[in-house]
Amino acid sequence: MNLTKNHKGNGGSRAGRLSLDPVRDWWASAPREVRWIVYLLLVVGALVLPSESIGSFMAPSGSDWPTMLSDQIGIYVLLALGLNVVVGMAGLLDLGYVAFYAVGGYTIGIFATKYGWNFWETLLLAIVLASLSGVILGAPTLRLRGDYLAIVTLGFGEIVKQTAANSDYVNGPRGIQGIPHPPSLSEFEVLGVQPLKYGLLDSRPYYYMLVVFIVLTIIFVKRMENSRVGRAWAAIREDEDAAELMGVPTFRFKLAAFAIGAAIGGSGGVVFAAKQTSINPENFVFLVSALILASVVLGGSGNIPGVILGAFMLAWLPERFRELQDYRMLLFGAALVLMMVFRPEGLWPSRRRKAELEEGTGGMGGMGAEVAAPAAVGADVAGDAAEVKK
Amino acid sequence: MLLEISDIHVHYGKIAALKGVSAEVDQGEIVTLIGANGAGKTTTLKTISGLRPLSAGRIVFDGQDISRMPGHKRVLAGIGQAPEGRGIFPGMTVEENLLMGAYARKGDVSKDLNEVYELFPRLAERKNQAGGTMSGGEQQMLAIGRAMMADPKVLLLDEPSMGLAPLLVQQIFSIIQEINRRGCTVLLVEQNAQQALQIADRAYVLETGRVVKSAAAHELLDDPEVRAAYLGGDLGEAAASTKVDGAPEPGSDEDTAADDTVVDDEVRKD
Repeated sequence: MNLTKNHKGNGGSRAGRLSLDPVRDWWASAPREVRWIVYLLLVVGALVLPSESIGSFMAPSGSDWPTMLSDQIGIYVLLALGLNVVVGMAGLLDLGYVAFYAVGGYTIGIFATKYGWNFWETLLLAIVLASLSGVILGAPTLRLRGDYLAIVTLGFGEIVKQTAANSDYVNGPRGIQGIPHPPSLSEFEVLGVQPLKYGLLDSRPYYYMLVVFIVLTIIFVKRMENSRVGRAWAAIREDEDAAELMGVPTFRFKLAAFAIGAAIGGSGGVVFAAKQTSINPENFVFLVSALILASVVLGGSGNIPGVILGAFMLAWLPERFRELQDYRMLLFGAALVLMMVFRPEGLWPSRRRKAELEEGTGGMGGMGAEVAAPAAVGADVAGDAAEVKK
Repeated sequence: MLLEISDIHVHYGKIAALKGVSAEVDQGEIVTLIGANGAGKTTTLKTISGLRPLSAGRIVFDGQDISRMPGHKRVLAGIGQAPEGRGIFPGMTVEENLLMGAYARKGDVSKDLNEVYELFPRLAERKNQAGGTMSGGEQQMLAIGRAMMADPKVLLLDEPSMGLAPLLVQQIFSIIQEINRRGCTVLLVEQNAQQALQIADRAYVLETGRVVKSAAAHELLDDPEVRAAYLGGDLGEAAASTKVDGAPEPGSDEDTAADDTVVDDEVRKD
């Protein structure tokens, strides 16, 4: 698959810089039919991914490959796509993304166990509630920029988790048990799988459901990106003040990015809870936010294939190298650091993002510095003094 | 009066950046605000375009009180700005940058696009180049062209000569005059007082958040005090009086000169 190909290519990039420009040029000039064939191949690839022969390479240490795909990789990819709207497209640094994932999980937890709503009803409700919580978080805080926004969102993530852990209504730290699986849609069987029967034993149907969600998300986000909304986000990300001067209602579009990202995160939470049948506050710790953000940045913030690749790598590599035991987290951290040194724009960045990084804004939004740095001031005065001497 | 600001006060936290600035810009004029670092020139422009909130005072544009209007709506009202440090979108191509300038507008903008390309042939040559990879002078042209795309009634220019070589400064200023001839009112903020006063009709001198002088531009050119303070009339005194007071505005900008035909120099006239 193209994922492995890219992985290999990346190994060679330490010597020279791996340039993806030929791939991008080819893609930009590829005719419509070719693109559709590639899309189709990617979907087929995603569907055969849980097969045993692939699994024996991907998860040799005995972990169940389809379960890894549904519980880790699929969820991470979906969440990373959601966070990518906020971080990659609108350039807002959100360190508390797990909060929306938790809102989704707890929505199904509460409404399915206490009120008997079914999966699809709670899914809709969770999407609504998660985007609403995105708006509630965003409305007072989106006037902040850069690192300040990051701190507030970090706090929000903790607040949601702590509220859940301290509220008896959701059983505090014990969490909610007995969340029903989604109702089975059909019993039909292809190649030994019943893809629409959601039970306890087989993880593959959940994985397929996530694939559907991911594909829908990609279509939605891609359409957004190419619309007026996407242009507004790009402008906000590159220079927020300038965007406002162009007549972009920056606040409203930032809020929209938060709400959309939150909705995607919320849907991920619902699938997770329905698969696990139980959730507790420990599922929604800061580490999840950090890993999802790392996926986005590592893969290539703002570029959908890159983000998917990044999430896949981050979810999969620690499992793949389980035999390294405790060292694997050390190596994992070292790999992340090396990546940021040698390829800060990510594994698979968009061309535009590369240009932004070279300009130095980093595409994380202006980091909110409105006052000149003392060093620059000193240099100014020194320059003037030199001129006086002349 | 096209634009009238009366007694505006602006604060950054507790620090007052503007302590009652009043100014007027009439239809068809070029008006310039000159003054040292930290005098409040940039803040005045940002307040007019809505990037900074007012703490007191009033801004009337085209007969309408816009003091509380959000920035993005002021663009539609007819205020275009090329921000300090150019503020172009580095990841977008030249053409995408220009089209962003017309973001708030509806309808066909190809006529305006052609007009900008005609004013700045350089931009037409570099249509598909990423904004961030252009030289300082080209970025400045792009910033002005982008502001023109909104078809503004008044164009606010914040230090268009900053960090450019003298030859290029000349070129930018003659383009500003050309834009004005075509019917666009210009409010120009400059540290390069000499140049600004030569093309402007009227000028205001700002010092630590206040207007200390306002007159026809040619009068200020001959004014002994202004000559001493801003035009290098008496070099020693001038440098001493301008560099100390107030917090300097966000600093000198580095150039990503990808173009060797344009030699960009830090030009300081204060």
